[in-house]
Amino acid sequence: MRRPFNLHGYGAVLFKELIHVTHDRMTLVLALMLPIFQLLLFGYAINTRVDHIGTAYFDEDRGPDSVQLLDALRASNEFDLVYSASSRADLRSRIVGGRVRVAVDIPPNFSADIRLGRPATVQVLVDGSDSSIAQEALASSGAIGQALSARLGRASLAPQVVDVRTRVLFNPSLRSANYLVPGLIGVIMQIITIFLTALAIVGERERGTLDQLLVTPIGATGLMLGKITPYAAIGFIDFLLVLTAMRFVFGVPIAGSLLLLLFCALGFLVAALGLGLMISTIARTQAQAMLMSFAVMLPSILLSGFFFERDAMPLVMQWVGFAIPLTYFLEILRGIVLRGAGVDTLWPSITAVFALGTVLIGIASVRFARSTD
Amino acid sequence: MTAPIRAEKLTKRYGDHTVVNGVSFEVPAGSVFGFLGPNGSGKSTTIKMLCGLVQPSGGDATVAGFDVERDGDGVRRSIGYVSQSFSLYGDLTVDQNLEFYARAYDLDLDRRGVRKSAVMSITGLAPFAAYTASTLSGGWKQRLALACALLHEPRVLFMDEPTAGIDPVARRELWDLLFTLAGEGVTLFVTTHYMDEAERCSRVGYIFEGDLIALGTLDELRALQDVNPPGTVRYKISAHDVMQAFARARALRYVRDVTIFGRDLHIVADASASEARVHDDLSASGGSVGQVSRIEPSLEDVFVALTRARGAS
Repeated sequence: MRRPFNLHGYGAVLFKELIHVTHDRMTLVLALMLPIFQLLLFGYAINTRVDHIGTAYFDEDRGPDSVQLLDALRASNEFDLVYSASSRADLRSRIVGGRVRVAVDIPPNFSADIRLGRPATVQVLVDGSDSSIAQEALASSGAIGQALSARLGRASLAPQVVDVRTRVLFNPSLRSANYLVPGLIGVIMQIITIFLTALAIVGERERGTLDQLLVTPIGATGLMLGKITPYAAIGFIDFLLVLTAMRFVFGVPIAGSLLLLLFCALGFLVAALGLGLMISTIARTQAQAMLMSFAVMLPSILLSGFFFERDAMPLVMQWVGFAIPLTYFLEILRGIVLRGAGVDTLWPSITAVFALGTVLIGIASVRFARSTD
Repeated sequence: MTAPIRAEKLTKRYGDHTVVNGVSFEVPAGSVFGFLGPNGSGKSTTIKMLCGLVQPSGGDATVAGFDVERDGDGVRRSIGYVSQSFSLYGDLTVDQNLEFYARAYDLDLDRRGVRKSAVMSITGLAPFAAYTASTLSGGWKQRLALACALLHEPRVLFMDEPTAGIDPVARRELWDLLFTLAGEGVTLFVTTHYMDEAERCSRVGYIFEGDLIALGTLDELRALQDVNPPGTVRYKISAHDVMQAFARARALRYVRDVTIFGRDLHIVADASASEARVHDDLSASGGSVGQVSRIEPSLEDVFVALTRARGAS
């Protein structure tokens, strides 16, 4: 039986792993380029304000105020008035058929109502199948309605055009961009790190090099740390790259301490790489390791709070989330980047991420030490 | 001083299946112990238990004076292990593989240089130091594996079928190397399928279905009663048509066992049957056979006899 917590052989393993890593150029390039590439790709896909939404309209009123409303829509970035419907049914068929995402229906007495100081109603139909487009459409049409009401000097009109109360005030598109990019960075880092180490031990097993390694006095923890050090370095470079892109491409400023963020990133990398290592000591084949990584990845994204509020999850799911390094790192990332939070408020998450890293490396070491059955 | 390798009722079970069943033996210092047996008989499992790669289910074993279960680190520092298949890093060069294992065994910088050149000169690898390991031929890969296993000057060397799949010349050279090491006092434990290799060992053990059914020097094994039942003799008969001669020999009442070796038959017959009688009887029943001569059992005869005796019991 091998003693699990033995650092012996760290230098030897690091020496060998560095050669592996630098020899395999393709993997190295992919490991360094994928995160920044994916952030740029998905950062834009998820975050850019939705605009140029295809819009159809049916202007039954054809009065001065309906023309003003349509001009306001036309002038906006969000809506492209691509089709003028000939009837209400025509308008409906456009949106039902998926030809447009938004349909604006101006009733015959629109201008007249406004002139008479009565509530004037415009019906805006929004295709809800894409929630981000729908949200944008709701918010923007509301904003336009409000602006128009203000211009017409009839403030009392505002609520009738479209519901405008919530999102316009806080400029929702801007807020979601800031909120999403740091989260996306966390998710990307979690995925790349799992894949970097999930094959580390099982790969040795499948190549037949594991037994030769096991007859040396190399300690289990020494082996684990030697294995993850080069990948931690790659991960750290990845993190610096995506952070740079966040700041200068997506224009998300870092409100808090950069140094604290980098320090926490190291803790997160150790934890996430440790998760990969643990998978690697459990799996018997590389295919198993790949499937296990996949099994871990989706919960990482869904339960960590990236997509859904963790507070709203069932208790069991929240517990699962506690075992995922990303959960804590998201707290830290968003805290430092968005709110400028420091150690005084973030310490529970910081402690947790380092503790989780230690525990995961520990489990991997014990699992490895027991692999001599 | 206790023997460098000592196993006492060493046992490995996987569930209900007993892979190695209470095996006991000792290997004296500086000897070459040949460990034989069919595939799946427990050879590799035994070697892995002795190297600390597999946890025994029962019994105990010491290697270089260290208990394999309680002092795995002590065992690991004193042994070298060359496994069945190439188990080094194909993407590293010969020198980098050696460097890694030298570091893994904790040799300091000066010692690493000295030992690397030493093992490269023993194995003749020096000209290939900068070659990527995966580009070496089978024989050279095994030499590299041996070189890596010798870096820390182990007193005990375990080799699991080291010559499987390498050409005959490389095979012979590797064995010459092993005897050189044994001459320097290294104790070798080698599993093999090749009888000619086994015959060169100082002592052999034969494991069959998890049981160690024979253990001793070649002469001791040849003298075993199962191999030479009382009142029997062993003849070698050359024949043109071996299959025909085999069928005829089996029909003879005084013949107890027949085995084909190439173009020869080895038969075990009642001592009352003389060379001349066997020759006449085989020739009389049609076809011709060559000379009949009395022989000592070869190692292969020994194992065939032991395996059959066991099957019969």
